Amino acid sequence: MKVERPRWARSVALLTGIVLLATACSSGSSSGDSGGSIKGQHITVMVPPWARLSKNMLAQFEKESGVTVDLNVTSWDGIRDKVAVAGAANTPLADVVELDWSWTGQFGRAGWFAPLQDKLSSSLSADLQNSGAFTQGGNVYGVCYSNDFRISAYNKKYFAKAGIQTPSETLDQLANDLQAVKQSGAAQYPLTLPLSATEGTATAWYLLTLALGGQLFDNNFKPLFASPDSAGYKALQFEVDALKNGLVSPGSISMTDTQADERFTSGAAAVTLASGPDEIVTANDPKSSSIVNQAAFMLVPGESGPGGTFGLPEGLGIMSTSQHQEAGLAFIEWWMKSSNLLKIQSQLGLLPCRTSVVHQLVQQGKLVGGQTIEQQLQSVQPLFPQGAPPWYTRFSTEAATLINAAAKGSMSVGEALNKLASDSQALAGG
Amino acid sequence: MGSEPAGRRTALARLFGSDQPRRVGARQEARLGWVLVLPLVAVMLGLVFYPLVEGLSMSTRSINFGTGVADHFVGLRNYIEALGASETRAAALHTLGYLILALTLEIAGGLAIALVLNKPFRGRGLVFAIVILPWALPSVVSGVLWARIFNPDNGLLNSLLLQLHLIHTYKVWFASPFWSIAFVTLVHVWGVVPLISLILLSGLQGIPENLYGAARVDGAGAITRFRYITLPLLRPALAVALTTGTVIALAIFDEIFVLNGTALNTRSVMMQVYLTTFQQLNFGQGTALAVVLSLATGMFALAYMGRFRRAAQ
Repeated sequence: MKVERPRWARSVALLTGIVLLATACSSGSSSGDSGGSIKGQHITVMVPPWARLSKNMLAQFEKESGVTVDLNVTSWDGIRDKVAVAGAANTPLADVVELDWSWTGQFGRAGWFAPLQDKLSSSLSADLQNSGAFTQGGNVYGVCYSNDFRISAYNKKYFAKAGIQTPSETLDQLANDLQAVKQSGAAQYPLTLPLSATEGTATAWYLLTLALGGQLFDNNFKPLFASPDSAGYKALQFEVDALKNGLVSPGSISMTDTQADERFTSGAAAVTLASGPDEIVTANDPKSSSIVNQAAFMLVPGESGPGGTFGLPEGLGIMSTSQHQEAGLAFIEWWMKSSNLLKIQSQLGLLPCRTSVVHQLVQQGKLVGGQTIEQQLQSVQPLFPQGAPPWYTRFSTEAATLINAAAKGSMSVGEALNKLASDSQALAGG
Repeated sequence: MGSEPAGRRTALARLFGSDQPRRVGARQEARLGWVLVLPLVAVMLGLVFYPLVEGLSMSTRSINFGTGVADHFVGLRNYIEALGASETRAAALHTLGYLILALTLEIAGGLAIALVLNKPFRGRGLVFAIVILPWALPSVVSGVLWARIFNPDNGLLNSLLLQLHLIHTYKVWFASPFWSIAFVTLVHVWGVVPLISLILLSGLQGIPENLYGAARVDGAGAITRFRYITLPLLRPALAVALTTGTVIALAIFDEIFVLNGTALNTRSVMMQVYLTTFQQLNFGQGTALAVVLSLATGMFALAYMGRFRRAAQ
């Protein structure tokens, strides 16, 4: 007797077949590196919002290389977590991924990024600044695309209202100038500083430490900031005193660096100590600023004159699980072309890491505040001359948390820094 | 013979290729049940049980990408180190504080809302929609909104309290350990109370109305009716509400992170799990802490269910 199969079973079988066919076709369309041409390959690039390349630029790369790009824009914090999860699971996240200088120690040691030192041209390597920040154990894991560093900015109009014509050069002078601005009525809380338990808080403290001529650690990672006469101690004391003396808003204990920066561009503050090289571009943008044409760069005030600063470069790396490493490298090399770096700078405000391109921008007058930037660049140093340790992220979280506690008054400056010093010694030792 | 509807018997017979209607019975129905349930079982095995087993395994191994130490079995060392850390102990105390405070407010608030919504009144639908709204917002968004209210410089709370002469100067609320915990809990409760009220409302709607009628006839007042009819019959819903509230409170993270970052005075166990796993890349210890949190949650849930079951008996 004939058995009639249910109609729905046929439908399910047909649907399953279609799905399987589609999967087989899609997995066959993007073959991995074959050692030959990269044309026809498809790569995924994961970057934070400030590195979102325009569609035109992506189309240009695709036309030149024959490689198609899927640009995945994700928050900076989100990228870090995603890399950690994908790395731990040994699965591909994307082919080219943002690599912040602060992640190099951890991710480099974990082997999650492919070494690039033998793959980059010697001319590019020689022209790149900040390659040391992406080096761990002798391997270069990232190529710098954003020459971010810290520089201060001030509101010329507010300073002029207080009778001050030139920017402050020392921290003591800064404190006096800020009091004058406060008394003039230009700004109730003239200094903007993040003091919440977030990364930006630690960054501001690092900056002041270097500006005062100090370092965080010696070559053996022994902490140098716990002693009251150290630069790090003085830096934190300055911040806490500024809060107590009404120069910094009490709300700063809940502010991230982005929010603190917005206080400057909204006109609520006269000075931002730890801003980036795109600060004036933002301050002059009428869509996002209330102080158009009022802001100017200021060299970071130091002990007896303008002080040093440090770089927070951002790079592009290739994940070691990527199946398209050659295509990914082609993308990075294309990004690093002088003509493309100039375009990216004008569109996104990212300061390039190639010395020759920065000089070109200054010569052409295309860099807002270019002279001050070039001047400050001469004193940019890595935060860890001895190389970022693998425990840097944990140290930074501890630093931000303890600075926040000191700002809230639940710990003194000495208690906070002593705890940080003992914790960091435990991290370095273990 | 002929006891089953003809159409159904025919469909089952066709499904199992049987042309013997008499054999279509309990066995075939059981088989059909398994066929229908198998996809879900596969999903549960793949997405729940396998990660659970893998997580337990990870918690007994040294998996620390930050130190580069090779993956190897360490037994309970991750548990001992994670639980012994001073940050974990502080986080555990904070979490317990959130739990007690949050549950008290959620049950009391949820019950009050449920009692009001249980009675028909004009505009009940609109009130219902407004009550549900906080639950519909992602907790991060809630945190951002409330952060504006608590802002020490220009927040609504300071402004209001100053105008009412309840404070003399603007307060930095998150500088105080007490107010930090209180406000984080408030934001958390604001988002969870709608869910609790829904659970309790469904429980209230399951209580037969004739019981209240009979009680009124016997002269029982509102409080007596609430105490001897509503509360006892609401026990199953209360158990579900308490369990749900506990699970959510023990996992508190978003509100804390948005309002106060990784600050020591508000850190929860879940935040410690995140920092250990994703900041320090110590997956072994982070997983161990997550297992402990899961066990604690499970124990609370069992305690509630057991307590309410005994009371029902």
